Amino acid sequence: MVERAHNTPGPSRELLSDADIGRVVDRIAHQILEKTRGARDVTLLGIPTRGVPLAVRLAERIRSFEGVEVPHGALDVTLYRDDLRLRGARPLGPTSVPAGGIDGRRVILVDDVLYSGRTVRAALNALYDIGRPLQVQLAVLVDRGHRELPIRADYVGKNIPTAHSEKVSVLLRETDERDAVVLHGGDL
Amino acid sequence: MTKRAPAILVLEDGRVFHGEAYGAVGETLGEAVFSTGMTGYQETLTDPSYHRQIVAMTSPHIGNTGVNDEDDESARVWVAGFVVRQPSRIASNWRAKRSLEDELATQGVVGICGVDTRALTRHLRERGSMRAGISSVDTNPQRLLAKVLASPPMAGANLIADVTTREPYTVAAASGDPVLTVAAIDYGIKRNTPRRMAERGIETRVLPASSTVDEVLAQKPDAVFLSNGPGDPATADLSLIKGLLESGTPIFGICFGNQLLGRALGLDTFKLRYGHRGINQPVLDKATGKVEVTAHNHGFAVKAPAAPSVETPYGTAEVSHVCLNDDVVEGLRLTRDGKTIAFSVQYHPEAAAGPHDADYLFDRLVTLAEGAR
Repeated sequence: MVERAHNTPGPSRELLSDADIGRVVDRIAHQILEKTRGARDVTLLGIPTRGVPLAVRLAERIRSFEGVEVPHGALDVTLYRDDLRLRGARPLGPTSVPAGGIDGRRVILVDDVLYSGRTVRAALNALYDIGRPLQVQLAVLVDRGHRELPIRADYVGKNIPTAHSEKVSVLLRETDERDAVVLHGGDL
Repeated sequence: MTKRAPAILVLEDGRVFHGEAYGAVGETLGEAVFSTGMTGYQETLTDPSYHRQIVAMTSPHIGNTGVNDEDDESARVWVAGFVVRQPSRIASNWRAKRSLEDELATQGVVGICGVDTRALTRHLRERGSMRAGISSVDTNPQRLLAKVLASPPMAGANLIADVTTREPYTVAAASGDPVLTVAAIDYGIKRNTPRRMAERGIETRVLPASSTVDEVLAQKPDAVFLSNGPGDPATADLSLIKGLLESGTPIFGICFGNQLLGRALGLDTFKLRYGHRGINQPVLDKATGKVEVTAHNHGFAVKAPAAPSVETPYGTAEVSHVCLNDDVVEGLRLTRDGKTIAFSVQYHPEAAAGPHDADYLFDRLVTLAEGAR
């Protein structure tokens, strides 16, 4: 589950700057090209909110590195969450699957923070209601640990060991005023 | 800091990388290759085996230890061009005498920085080493591409005359009287090879590659060393090596020397798609089953014979070492009457730069030379 506590009081520290995030996205794009041997059958699906612009950025980087057009879209997982009944109603995000669908494609799920793994579990269920991918991989900007399910990422921008009491915020220009990864709370 | 001029790197297949001038400002052509060594750029730059090659370093930060006066492998920088991701702004090492960029500029070596070397490396891995050009004076890709396409390819290139010593010279044993004398045929020898031999009491007489059998044997060598070097082994004259094999002189070869020994024994050589260049290549010694992590720099290799051993006019030849990444032949052994009379390796036991796992091969050279007395 992703924490987005932008207004959390207490100390905070910027762990990744604007330039760092640029480099990290570049590297993940390179790794996708290498691990999927040219990314020719890859479809990128971002998990709203911030996974969507990350998927767009990755597709753009892959195009600039190798001239490969990677289809990309968004996959909303809200209705597949296991905590729907525990919390109040939430707005649904957009789901847009690229033309051609996901059957037989190497789908890479893209999210900003990997934490408990429950969001990814929901994404897998959402995905299998749409089609049958050849393979599913996971790319995240930050892995902060504390998994509650047997899930791991194939591409990690940065591993940030955290305490449960801390909060990790990913800010992206498309949704926030700047690019940054900020750690709030805990004993800084 | 002065502003860098824009520069381009153009590959033979038309791919263009944009960056900034690094080292000398100018234009250069060569074969684009990549080296995976994270350290040892000074040894790489001065290794004659890199003659006519534009070397891209996969390690992203280059120049941090500057340049010193001890680590050069020859009298000059041999690479035709140098490609780095991010040059170090300062040199920080107790041995550093000057910055890498100043050294490159002084020696007129054209380089480019700010290039996405990871994309470049992947391109070369998938499509193979190819001709390339760097220019920081004319950044029109089309004009540079035309020059790249007009430049000679590495396959079929004979570069021995460019790099071999003009006059013979001697490297004395490290201390005391020499135990053994080795005649080294210079196809582009690295300084660390005679140094490794000198440590074992060997006096090395380095001879031009054009030497005749009589000139070599006139040195009364206990063994002959065939050095590393640039170019296509298929173009080299083998009469010297065949003559030496006939004379029964023990032979030890490294890199290009391994390829030439292989060819003299009737084996074939071929150009690898993107070569082995780096300092962490795993090699299996087939005799002992031991794996060494070794330094490599080769774009050509000996083609593995179909049979485990091949009968030659000089004895029985067999493959002694293989690379565990791709099964490329990394060493040869020639035996006659159950006794080793010549051996060679494709990699670099002199390890400049690189790990010292293969240093024992120089001890084997001593054993070989002593055994032939």
